[in-house]
Amino acid sequence: MPPVLLEATNLEKALGGRPVVQGIDLTCAAGEVLGLLGPNGAGKTTTLRMCYGYLRADKGSVRIDGHDLAREPDEARRRLGVCTQDDTFDADFTVRGNLLQTGRYFRPRQPDLESRIEAVLDRFGLREFANQKPDTLSGGYKRRLMIARSVIHQPKVVFLDEPTTGLDPQARVAVWELISALRAEGLAIVLTTHYMDEAARLSDRLQVIQAGRVRASGVAAAVLGDVVGEHVALIPAAAPGAEAALAWFRSLPPSHRPVRPAQVLAHWHIPLDARGLAAFVARFPDLVYEVRPPTLDDLFLALSTEPGEPPPPARPGTERRA
Amino acid sequence: MSILAASVQWQSRAVLARHIRVHLRSWHTVTLPPVCEPLIMLLTFGLGLGSQMGALLWQDRSLNYLHYLAPGILAYTAFMSSFFQSLFAAFIRMHFQKSWEGQLTTQVRLEHVVWGEALWAATLATSYAVIVCLVLAAFGLAGQLTLHWAWLPATIPLLFLTALAFSAVGLFFTAILPSIDHMSLPFFLVILPVGFASSTYFPLPDVPVLREVSMLNPLHHLAEGLRWLLLTGRPTWHLGASAGLCLLLLVALIPLDMRLLRRRVFGDR
Repeated sequence: MPPVLLEATNLEKALGGRPVVQGIDLTCAAGEVLGLLGPNGAGKTTTLRMCYGYLRADKGSVRIDGHDLAREPDEARRRLGVCTQDDTFDADFTVRGNLLQTGRYFRPRQPDLESRIEAVLDRFGLREFANQKPDTLSGGYKRRLMIARSVIHQPKVVFLDEPTTGLDPQARVAVWELISALRAEGLAIVLTTHYMDEAARLSDRLQVIQAGRVRASGVAAAVLGDVVGEHVALIPAAAPGAEAALAWFRSLPPSHRPVRPAQVLAHWHIPLDARGLAAFVARFPDLVYEVRPPTLDDLFLALSTEPGEPPPPARPGTERRA
Repeated sequence: MSILAASVQWQSRAVLARHIRVHLRSWHTVTLPPVCEPLIMLLTFGLGLGSQMGALLWQDRSLNYLHYLAPGILAYTAFMSSFFQSLFAAFIRMHFQKSWEGQLTTQVRLEHVVWGEALWAATLATSYAVIVCLVLAAFGLAGQLTLHWAWLPATIPLLFLTALAFSAVGLFFTAILPSIDHMSLPFFLVILPVGFASSTYFPLPDVPVLREVSMLNPLHHLAEGLRWLLLTGRPTWHLGASAGLCLLLLVALIPLDMRLLRRRVFGDR
């Protein structure tokens, strides 16, 4: 059993007087990728920021490799690395200078920091840009630099907050390969993403966050089953009988309809469990529709359209909010 | 952990070292303004305007304006450079460059970032003041200025303390200004009133309210203290008053800055 390197318990956080995270538990073991999923404003980034010590939790605790983040901040922070959602490298330094400067923000200092930097430059494909300022890099290479910075001091836990947002498919695949390699080295990786294919490919476990609480967790199939159900019926919105099918679905007892249907372009996506599907087939024999297993996209849609979904909270950051 | 104790922790020094490194890379261009500014001021106002003004009466002594101005420029440089750096440059690093956020994802915490900025602003301002000293020395070598030169190095610690105190004032505005468009406000609210009520560039008129207000102005005490020291060779109570007021500013403002910046940076209480 690989050791658990991240252990967050009962995290709570209110920002601007509004609860954003309400009792979230997280664990991540060595060599594991934990994917945090959820719609905008669900509390993913706030949760992550509490885990790496950027924000103080109102309640709960975070342990990094056995060190309590609140009581032993230096020991805990020495063992974690962070790739933020925005590019927060130091624009006054070159790519190499950024790695060196980041290394200087950690004690005990990484032994042989200079040679570590050279190795990281090669490994992340940054060698040819080593003496350039980060602003001159493409989006994909900027993200590589951000991830390289996060591991320069050889942490045990790495937090990647939407590491591929805004990248083209080729650059995304390159970042995925880097993340897979870090996992193979035994790092515990916590990843937030909006890309469902990314979450499915990279994550060993998923934790779905909605309105500041864990809605479901486990391997992808179990999470989908918990939240969406076993099947999704795709009904053309313009099809005769579509309205009747929706009305029928809405009349089901809550135990038979895991989440609300969502309209995506010209189709209604209706999540159904096995019993619900059987009843649906029997009830609408003439309706033309498609049935397929749920995907993580369905999960995302389902979470975004669930009743009671609060508006996105103001994200903490350097912006002053009115 | 005490906020004040964070000033001597290695993380604050690491942030300070980062700023020094960035500055030294372009030393040949960034050194020009602190050399040129006092040079121009001393030439145009000290020698130029001074020659039109004739003698000036200060503490029952007759001075030419260049001699009155020289200690004032030294004090003003420490004040202005530090305030500007901790306000404008720190705001850019915090808001636009996001280098604070990058630092805060390491072992560096907000108290270290704040102390790093304050120490850097004070260090830079002191180095500018040292450059002013060299310019003054050049005027001395040219036979234009006679000061008690031996006291000049002794002024450096006090200039550093003054700069550190005003960097805390600058960081206060960094914490509360909504956007860069509001940067002119602290110049009207702090720089101009403090500068005018300080006897750096001209003797204060003998108006009762102004005299009392200036007693609370550390820049006034610094300018007057330096003037006594460099023109007469006598340390006076002004130096102690300046140091005391600067320490008070620091003790009051750094915790307040921390509180306000925590709210601003983290959106936190």
